[in-house]
Amino acid sequence: MDVVSLVRENERARLVFSREDKPVNVLDEICLQQLESCLDQLEADPPKVLVLESAISGCFIAGADVDAIAAIRDAAQATRLAERGQGLCRRLEALTSVSIAVVRGACMGGGLELAMACDHLLAVEDKKTSLALPEIKLGIHPGFGGCVRLPKRVGWVRAVDMILAGRSVDAKRAARIGLADLTAPPERIGDAVDWLAARGKVQRGRAGPWWLYLPFVRWWFFYEVERKATSRFQHLDLEQAYPAIPATVKLLKEIVGLSDGVAYAREAESLGRLVTTPTCKNLVRVFHLGQSLKRQDAVKRGQASADNIRNTAVFGAGVMGSGIAWVAARTTDVDLHDITPEALERGMRSLGRLARRDAKRLRRIRPALDDSNLEGADVVIEAVIEELEAKQALWKEVEAKVSKDCLLLTNTSSLSVTAMQEEARVPARMAGLHFFNPAPKMPLVEVIVGGQSSGEVVDTVAALAVAWGKYPIVVRDCPGFLVNRCLMPYMVAALRLLESGQKPEHVDGALKHYGMPMGAIELADKVGLDICHHVGVHLSEAFGERFAMPAWFGELVKAGMLGEKSGKGFYHWSGGRRGELNPELHRFLKLPEPPEGDAAAAVHEVPAMSDQEICDACLVPMLVEALQCLDEELVESAVHVDAAMIFGIGFPPFRGGLLRDFAQWDREKLVACIQRLGLEVPGNIGVLDEFV
Amino acid sequence: MSQQHRRKHREVVVVAGVRTPMGKANGCLREFTAVDLGAMAMRELLARSPVCADDLDAVIVGNVIQPSEAANIARVVALNAGVPKRVPAHTVHRNCASGMQAVTDAAEKVAAGRAEIVVAGGIESMTHAPLLFHDDFRAALVQWNRAKSWSDRLAAAKAMLRSPWRPRMALLEGLTDPTVGLNMGQTAEVLAREFAITRREQDEFALRSHQLADQAWQQGFFEQEVMHLFPPPSFSAVHRDEGIRPAQSMEALGKLKPVFDKPLGTVTAGNSSQITDGAAMLLVTHRERAEAEGWPILGFLHDWAYAGCDPARMGLGPVFATHKVLAGRGLQLADIRFMEINEAFAAQVLACLKAMDSREFAEKHLGLSQPLGMPEMSSLNVHGGAIAMGHPVGMTGARLVLRLMRTLSEQGGGLGVATLCIGGGQGGAVLLGSEPWTS
Repeated sequence: MDVVSLVRENERARLVFSREDKPVNVLDEICLQQLESCLDQLEADPPKVLVLESAISGCFIAGADVDAIAAIRDAAQATRLAERGQGLCRRLEALTSVSIAVVRGACMGGGLELAMACDHLLAVEDKKTSLALPEIKLGIHPGFGGCVRLPKRVGWVRAVDMILAGRSVDAKRAARIGLADLTAPPERIGDAVDWLAARGKVQRGRAGPWWLYLPFVRWWFFYEVERKATSRFQHLDLEQAYPAIPATVKLLKEIVGLSDGVAYAREAESLGRLVTTPTCKNLVRVFHLGQSLKRQDAVKRGQASADNIRNTAVFGAGVMGSGIAWVAARTTDVDLHDITPEALERGMRSLGRLARRDAKRLRRIRPALDDSNLEGADVVIEAVIEELEAKQALWKEVEAKVSKDCLLLTNTSSLSVTAMQEEARVPARMAGLHFFNPAPKMPLVEVIVGGQSSGEVVDTVAALAVAWGKYPIVVRDCPGFLVNRCLMPYMVAALRLLESGQKPEHVDGALKHYGMPMGAIELADKVGLDICHHVGVHLSEAFGERFAMPAWFGELVKAGMLGEKSGKGFYHWSGGRRGELNPELHRFLKLPEPPEGDAAAAVHEVPAMSDQEICDACLVPMLVEALQCLDEELVESAVHVDAAMIFGIGFPPFRGGLLRDFAQWDREKLVACIQRLGLEVPGNIGVLDEFV
Repeated sequence: MSQQHRRKHREVVVVAGVRTPMGKANGCLREFTAVDLGAMAMRELLARSPVCADDLDAVIVGNVIQPSEAANIARVVALNAGVPKRVPAHTVHRNCASGMQAVTDAAEKVAAGRAEIVVAGGIESMTHAPLLFHDDFRAALVQWNRAKSWSDRLAAAKAMLRSPWRPRMALLEGLTDPTVGLNMGQTAEVLAREFAITRREQDEFALRSHQLADQAWQQGFFEQEVMHLFPPPSFSAVHRDEGIRPAQSMEALGKLKPVFDKPLGTVTAGNSSQITDGAAMLLVTHRERAEAEGWPILGFLHDWAYAGCDPARMGLGPVFATHKVLAGRGLQLADIRFMEINEAFAAQVLACLKAMDSREFAEKHLGLSQPLGMPEMSSLNVHGGAIAMGHPVGMTGARLVLRLMRTLSEQGGGLGVATLCIGGGQGGAVLLGSEPWTS
C-alpha cells in the first residue's frame, strides 16, 4: 500500500499523502517508514521545488496515530518516536529544495508540525481547512518539533496560547497570524505554489517578541500563562490529573532562547514522560468516546433529514429554554416563545451575555409572544414548566399549527415522554431531547426514545444534536433517563454524609479534589433544591428507597431555600458565585457547631472522613446505579455510560469515565465497598472487565 | 412572470403589517442599527403573516439616512430577515416619504402584474446618522496619503490642522433644504407666519397628539400592530412608543423656547415631530391572490399621488398631493372618513388645514373655484401622530398606511387618505380603504 508517494515532474517533485484503509491521513508506522524512504530519494537527488499535498479531500494530515500513542508503555519508546518524527521534519527542512505544504482540510498535530518544517505553508481557503496542535487535549504536547517551530512563525504569545489551549485556526486566520505564508482559493493553488516557489528557501530567525528574552519578563509571562492555564483546576492535584499542563508550560519556558537541537531533545524527553501517564491513555479514550458518539449509526442515518431543518421553535424562555435557543441558533433560525414579555426579557438577557462572543448568532433568535410562525417550524422544543398537564396542553396547541413533518421534542428531565405521547395526535414524531444546564456549555444531550417514537425521528434528532455541536446518546424512556438517574444516588449519598455530621464544604472539597467540576452539595444548590427534591421524589416512587430524599431536605425546600436562584440554599449565592455556608442550615440539619459557638459543650465533632472515603461513599452508589441501567439496557452500549457522565455532568475526563475508573479497582475490594455501603452488588459487575 | 398575470388594474391589497415601537434617537433603541431594526420587523412580518417567504417576488424598503455599511439596505435587511436569496430587493428614497414610496412602488408592481407578493416598508435609525469630516479635512487626509517626502507630509499635516475639526452632522444637514437654504423647522416657521398660526394653536395641537396617542395605547389599539423589542444592553421589553408623554400639558409646552427662529419663532421641540428610530413593514399583494389563498385583507390601496410645491413651503405638500389623488378618482374631501396627515410640525399640519379650507389658496394653487374642504378634527390623526410618537423619516410613510388601514377596519370601513409633506417641496398621498373600490 502506497501511503506516501513521490511524483517527479521535471524540476519539481510532489509528495502525495493518501490512504485507502482510513478516512484520514495519519502519521503511523507505515506512513513514517515510507516518508523516510521518500526523503532518502529526495536527498539523493533533490528537486528544485518540493510540494507536500494530500490526495484525500477534507484532510491534509490529521496527526500522529492516536491509538499508537496510547499503546506506548515505555517512556524511552515514546521519546524515540518523537525523535524519529523530529528527525523527519529536520531532514525535510534541510533539503536544498524549496518545500511547500499545500494544506487543505484538517492539519493537526504531527501534520501541522510537518507542514511547518516546510519553507512555505499554503493554507487553501476551504471550509474544512483548520490548523491546530491539539495534543494538550490528549494529555501530551507536540513532539515533532512543534513547540520550536510554531513560535518562529506566530511568535511566543500566540504559540503558547495555541499549544496550551489546543485551539484551531482557519485558513484566513492562519495567514493573519503568520502560521501560513499565503492563503489561496482552491482554483488558485497552482499559481500560489509558483509564487511561493519563486520566493526561494527561507531561514527563520529567532521567535519574537524580543521582550521574552529578558529573564524577568519571561518569568512573569510564563507565570501568568501557568496561572491562567491552571486556574480551572485549582482543586486538583495537577501533576496527577493533568500533568501535561505544567509540563508544557515548563517545556516552553525552558526552550525560549535554546538552540534548536537542545530544544528538540527537551521536547522529546518531556513527551516521553507524558505519554506513559494514565491521564494520556484516559484522554485518548475520552477522545474516542466523543468520536463514537458523533459517528454513531443513528447520526449517520439521520444526517440527511437533519440537514433540512432550518427553523426551530423553542417554548419557554427560562434558563434552559434560552440556552437551547442559543444552541439551536448554531444552524437554524430560532423563534423563542414565551407568554410574558418579562419572561422573554430574562431569556434575552441571558442570551445577551452569550452574544458578547458571537453577536451574529443572537440575530438568528426572534423573541415571540404570539405563537407566530409555528407553521414554518421544522422542529419544536419545549422547555416549559415540568408538569405533564402543562406540557400536554402546549403540545395540543402546537400540534394544531405545525406542519405534519415537524419534530416535537421535549426537554423534560423527569416526565415520561411515553406519557406525553398518549395525548398526541401524531405520537411517532415526538421524542425527548434532554439538555444539561447550562445548555450552551454542556456537551451532552440525551435523546429519549418514547414508547411510540419512530426510528427516523430518533435518528434525525441525534444528527441534529451533532450539527448543534453536542454529543447525543440515545436513551430509552424511563424515569430520570440515564444521567439524572445515576446522579441522584450520588447526591442522596452526599446528603446522607451531611446527616452523619460531615461538613458540606468538606464533602464538596473531597469530590472536587477527585475531579468533579463542583461538589454534590454545590451542584444541588445550582440545580435548585426544589428541582432536586422533585426529581428525588419522582425517582423514589419509581425505583424505591435508594432515591429517597432525607426528610430535612424537604423542609429546606419548604422554607424557601432553593439554592442559587433564591440566593441561599446550602450556601449563600450572589451573582452566580458561591459564598459562605448558609448558617440557617443548623435549623434543619445537625451540623458540627463552629468552635466559637456558645453551645461549646454540645459540640460532638464527628471525625472528618478522608477524601477517599467520601468519594467512595458518593461515587459507588452512582456506579451501582449505572450498572443497573446497563442491566436494563437503557443505552445501546456500555461505553455510552462513561461518555454520558463525562460530557453530561463533567465527570473528570482524566479518569477516563465512571466505569473505567472503578474497573481499575480490585474487584473484591469494590464488592466489599458496595456491601459496606449497604447496597446490593449488581449481578452484571463483570461488565467492568471490558473497561480495564 | 407569466403573461396572464399582466392584466391591468389588479386591486392592490395589504395582507399584513407590523411595526417596531418608535424609540427616541439615542434612546431605548440606540443599540439597534437600521439594519437590525429592519430585519427584526421584516422577520416578524413574515412570521406573523400567512405568506411564506419563498413566495415573495420582491422587497422594497424606504430609508433616508442610508447606512454606509449597508449599501442597498433593503437587500441586507431581506437577507438578514430570512428572505430567500433569489428574491430581489431595492431601496427607495423620497426623503420623508421613502416608506410611502416603497409601498406605492410595490403597489404599482403588483397592479401592473410585475409581481405577486412584495414586502414593502420603511426603516430609519436617526440615532446612527453619521458624523462627517469637513471636506477640507478629507482633502488633507488624501494629501497625507499621497505624500512622498517629509516636506509633503509636513504640508499635509499643516493642512489637516488648518481644516475644521468639528464633525458635520449628517442628520442636521439632511434636514436642511439645500436649494432654499432653510431647514425643515424654518419652513414650518414660514408657514406659521404666512397662515398666522399662533404658538398656542400649535401647542394645543401637540398636546392633542400626546393625549390621543396615550389613549390609543391604553385602549390597546396598538397592541397588535406594534411588535415587542428586547434591545440591548438591558434587554428590557420595549413595546410602547418611547416619545409619548401622558402627562404633557400646556404649561410644560409653553415653557419651551423656539428652536429654529430665535427668539420670536413659534416652532418648539414640543410642537415638532420627534427624532426617532423605527421600522414598519407591509405585505402587498392583489385581491385575487389573497382571496384564493384565504389571506385576511387588512386594506385596499386604491390610488396614490405625489405632487411638487415650493421647497420653502414644503409643509403644504399634503394639500397638493391630496388634491391630486382625490381629483384622479373624482372624489371630494368630504368623501374621506379618516385622514392621517403626518405631524412633521404642528404649524405645518395646521397650515395644511387652513390651506385646504381657503378659497383663495384653492383658486391660486389648485385651479379650483371652491376650497378643497377641511377634514373634521375628529377624523384627523385619531390615534395621535409624529409629535407624540416620532418621525423616523424613512419609516413614517409605511407607518401611516398601516395605521390608517387599521383605523378604517376598526371603525367599520370607508375611505382614508394618508398623506405627508416631503422635505424639498413635495407631498405624497395614498387613498386607501377597507373595502374594494366601488365607483
